[in-house]
Amino acid sequence: MTVTLWPMASEIEVKTPAGLLAKESAVDRANRFTNDAMQYTNQLYAAALRYTKNAHDAQDLVQDTYAKAFTSFHQFEPGTNLKAWLYRILTTTFINNYRKDQRRPQISDGELEDWQLAESASHTSDQGKSAEDEVLENMPDGDVKNALEEIPEEFRLAVYYADVEGYSYKEIAEILGIPSGTVMSRLHRGRKLLRELLVAYAKDRGYAKGFGES
Amino acid sequence: MSCGQHHETSCQDVLNAMIFFIDREISDSNQLMALEVHFQQCSPCLQEMEHERKVINQMKKLLADSCNETAPEELHARIAAQTALLAAQMSAPTQFVTEYRQSQTTVITDENGSVVIEETHIQIQSTNEFGEFGKDFPLS
Repeated sequence: MTVTLWPMASEIEVKTPAGLLAKESAVDRANRFTNDAMQYTNQLYAAALRYTKNAHDAQDLVQDTYAKAFTSFHQFEPGTNLKAWLYRILTTTFINNYRKDQRRPQISDGELEDWQLAESASHTSDQGKSAEDEVLENMPDGDVKNALEEIPEEFRLAVYYADVEGYSYKEIAEILGIPSGTVMSRLHRGRKLLRELLVAYAKDRGYAKGFGES
Repeated sequence: MSCGQHHETSCQDVLNAMIFFIDREISDSNQLMALEVHFQQCSPCLQEMEHERKVINQMKKLLADSCNETAPEELHARIAAQTALLAAQMSAPTQFVTEYRQSQTTVITDENGSVVIEETHIQIQSTNEFGEFGKDFPLS
């Protein structure tokens, strides 16, 4: 004789990653992220174009940046600069996923002092000043964008963050993960290269009279 | 080239520091004061600085006007969908532990009339792991 006293019992226990949901539910995080971070999509996209130089990769880069930002959003310190934090993630995502040749040699930053002393430690002639003004006043937007694309990445990004986004050397150093001194030399060289290119464009098109004879 | 006059701070030092002055990156108040005093006294340096500042401001304006692309609507939608997906994955379970327990009690009466009670307990535990969060979520 066999008597079964209890029927088969089964129960399901659900475990979630420890700590992850302890402070904030996924829904709360998604809402906070949408409210705070999504407003920067256009600016991140414009910056991403400076990194990738093409629209398709720039869109993917921005999307990947938002994925990383969302999963590490608990590391963001509220009250600090969220946009700069996103730019930092954009930079690391680009370096890790998109830079075509990660081992390509980096451009030396040591040449700043030489050109700076040679170029700026003298008073420019009035003729040179007005010619440069004229070039910039007549410059079409497309030329500026092309010139920015032509200068090396390191210089382009320093110029972009300083002269479009208005960040300080220190903030740019944090975004790009390089020392402030390096930001300084890249920014100054980048601006100089950009100006030289714009003058060259102007000469080609014949609208820089002051530079014609040189 | 110097303007020919003697100044507390040399024209060369001022011209070298000029870009930091324009970029508002000089935090030392004494240095800042020295530059301002020099610009008041030396018109070639002042003109040089004002020209440089004007050119940089023009460049900033040109750059701002040409680097103001807006993200396509599709990208906004993709990111919103991605955020929702990641949030759903975050709240979804990552591990199921299933436990089966069964107990059997058998009562046997032999021909002598004595009673033997046998108890059997069976416990089966199975664990199903799902992808660890953050490792294998799709990026695009």
